[in-house]
Amino acid sequence: MSRMSDFEKNDPHEDARYEAFVKLFAHHEAGLRRFVGSFLPSWGDVDEVVQRAAIAIWRKFDQFDQDTNFMKWACVVTRFEALAYRRKMARDRLVFRDDVLDLMAEEAGAELDGRNAQHEALESCLLAMPEKQRKFVMLAYTPGVNVKELAEEAGSTAAAFYMRLRRIRRQVMKCVEEKTLPSPEAG
Amino acid sequence: MKANRFEDLPEEEQEWIDAWLGDTIDETSFAALQDRMLDRPELRKIVRRSLALHHDLQAKADGSADATAEPWLENEATPTNVVALPTTATSRFFPIAIAAGVAFLLGLALMHFGGRSGAVEQSAKPVVDEPAVEPSANGFAVIENLVDAKWALGETERRRGDSLGDEIFRLRSGVAEIQFFSGATMVIQGPAEIALESAWEASCRDGLVRMRVPPAARGFKLNGPDTEIIDLGTEFGFEVRGGKAHVEVIDGEISMRHRNADERIVEKGAAWKLPRDGVAARVKAGQVAFPDMGSFDLETQTRQRKDFERWQIHSKAFARDRRVIAYYTFDRAKPTAVIASLAEPRSSEFDGAVVLAETAAGRWPGMKQALEFRRPGSRVRVRIPGEFEAFTFAVWVRIDSLDRRYNALFMGDGYETGEPHWQIRDDGKLMLSVMVDHTRPNPKMPEDAGFHRVYYSPSIWDKSMSGQWMHLVSVFDPERRQVSHYVNGERVSRAEIAADYFIRTLRIGNGEIGNWGQPFRETPWFAIRNLNGRIDELAILNAALTDAEIRELHEHSQFGRR
Repeated sequence: MSRMSDFEKNDPHEDARYEAFVKLFAHHEAGLRRFVGSFLPSWGDVDEVVQRAAIAIWRKFDQFDQDTNFMKWACVVTRFEALAYRRKMARDRLVFRDDVLDLMAEEAGAELDGRNAQHEALESCLLAMPEKQRKFVMLAYTPGVNVKELAEEAGSTAAAFYMRLRRIRRQVMKCVEEKTLPSPEAG
Repeated sequence: MKANRFEDLPEEEQEWIDAWLGDTIDETSFAALQDRMLDRPELRKIVRRSLALHHDLQAKADGSADATAEPWLENEATPTNVVALPTTATSRFFPIAIAAGVAFLLGLALMHFGGRSGAVEQSAKPVVDEPAVEPSANGFAVIENLVDAKWALGETERRRGDSLGDEIFRLRSGVAEIQFFSGATMVIQGPAEIALESAWEASCRDGLVRMRVPPAARGFKLNGPDTEIIDLGTEFGFEVRGGKAHVEVIDGEISMRHRNADERIVEKGAAWKLPRDGVAARVKAGQVAFPDMGSFDLETQTRQRKDFERWQIHSKAFARDRRVIAYYTFDRAKPTAVIASLAEPRSSEFDGAVVLAETAAGRWPGMKQALEFRRPGSRVRVRIPGEFEAFTFAVWVRIDSLDRRYNALFMGDGYETGEPHWQIRDDGKLMLSVMVDHTRPNPKMPEDAGFHRVYYSPSIWDKSMSGQWMHLVSVFDPERRQVSHYVNGERVSRAEIAADYFIRTLRIGNGEIGNWGQPFRETPWFAIRNLNGRIDELAILNAALTDAEIRELHEHSQFGRR
């Protein structure tokens, strides 16, 4: 948040406003990251977009009606930041094109509560998994780990490693969906 | 029916999403996926859910890796000590600490693939199998010290640190100190014949002994020809000559039963003679000079000093042997210094950088230093350029335990063609291998790291040898097409290098003492193979030393013998 503090804050009204912003942003930052994380595949891009969004949100904070939902408003600002960032980015082969990204971001804003529930469900799903599987998934997701190299090191093939990871991820997904979606029978 | 869940999607779409998350999707599929997403809100929803899960897992794994790595990071504060690895940018900047955390996880992952690592080994058939140094698996005592010890012809020559089990210990002359695992100590002056029965019992058939029994070993039983003595604490002397025994309590008290007489408590300062065919009789104390611990220690120190000085002379000469490529003795003026290679002509290029390994007492405590590789990240990184015709690896090592499946002595980083791996397996077998061709698959294990063969010794270590210094040598000899292993100067195995596994040009390049740093050049993590123990001397020679030369090498650098 240090770049925020560079703004002039000698005005007591400005100080109070800044404090309100910091409080709100700090409270919602994780949710905002989760929001961006549901349509941008790279963690680095998510970071970058959330950073840019923080600055934009602060700049537009005057326009925010403090009696309304901050998160909803912040998601709208962030969505535009994401699109702007998307256009600036060198063509990343894994990032959705504009029309898809815009739809995804728009809809993601309406799913925030569900996203938090999903995050909690994941915790319990991981705990319920056999330890070997859990460790395997954690290993595969450890930053800096290249799945192909890891597989080679383990004397296996990247394909076998990847198959296993995919199978386990699908199991986790199934578990998370069972916990967060209404059961088909009920529907 | 609209799909609600991931598994409800057509397999094709599931595949696309998985490939997208795994960074393996091709352009056509990604375009097709996006086209469908544009039309189908439920697909977009599932993609968002999948991506969110993907990020949540990333965030979790990030946290767990840091947690594992943390205790290592705080010891990485002196980067000047770390030789930069001339590999990829990733490995250069990827902290060893993170890699350590990953390595831990990797170990678990390996289990999923049937427990095989890069080093899949087939045992080579030994040509000559001479298990000269078979450790006693059920030892209960150890030789703590020997002073001028001489052994009868045909009797096993004992060394300091040898473990002793259920056996008859015969000393022709000199003094031996035996430490029982119960905590009791027996100083024996030869000639002597002692039957060792357990950590709690021995029989003196002949000789002069002094027992010292700390509180923990109270109840230790020493038998004479016709007498049973139970030590109730501290110290007593016992002599058996020609079947006649004599006991004297130096400190504390003992319980004694001679022949059919009642048990009797003998207190400090009392002495009794114990005739074969008569009753025990009290005699004047102080008539027998039992071997004295104090002077014994002094003698030991003098002897050690002499051994150490002899080794120093040998070491200087050895460093000048032109066949020596690198020679480390691990003595440093200050703990931050590099480990210099003493091989002449000296070149700082061969210096070793110490990472996490700690300075500890060497095989002559107080005179010689060692490095301890107890912590999982411990290692000494070296760079040894050049091409070689043969390898002799020689080390003085003190193994505390074999914690890892493979415990490193000296390992080439990349294990590429011509590079050696010298290590000890957790079953105590010494292993030497040289990569024959890292680009060629192993016929038995097509997915293995490369074409190589591991040459094993019989098991040369077990838990009873924990903490003892030993001299290990392994020789890779392409000219004679054989690989040999030696323990304390004696050959324990020799195996033939089969034609398929023949390799003439040997290399080292980057390597590590006491650990394995860089399993594969492109891989930013390492398998933990640190040796839980100490090394105080390691030499690598561009030659295959002969049996006689290795015996001599051991002779000149050994300690505490006689």
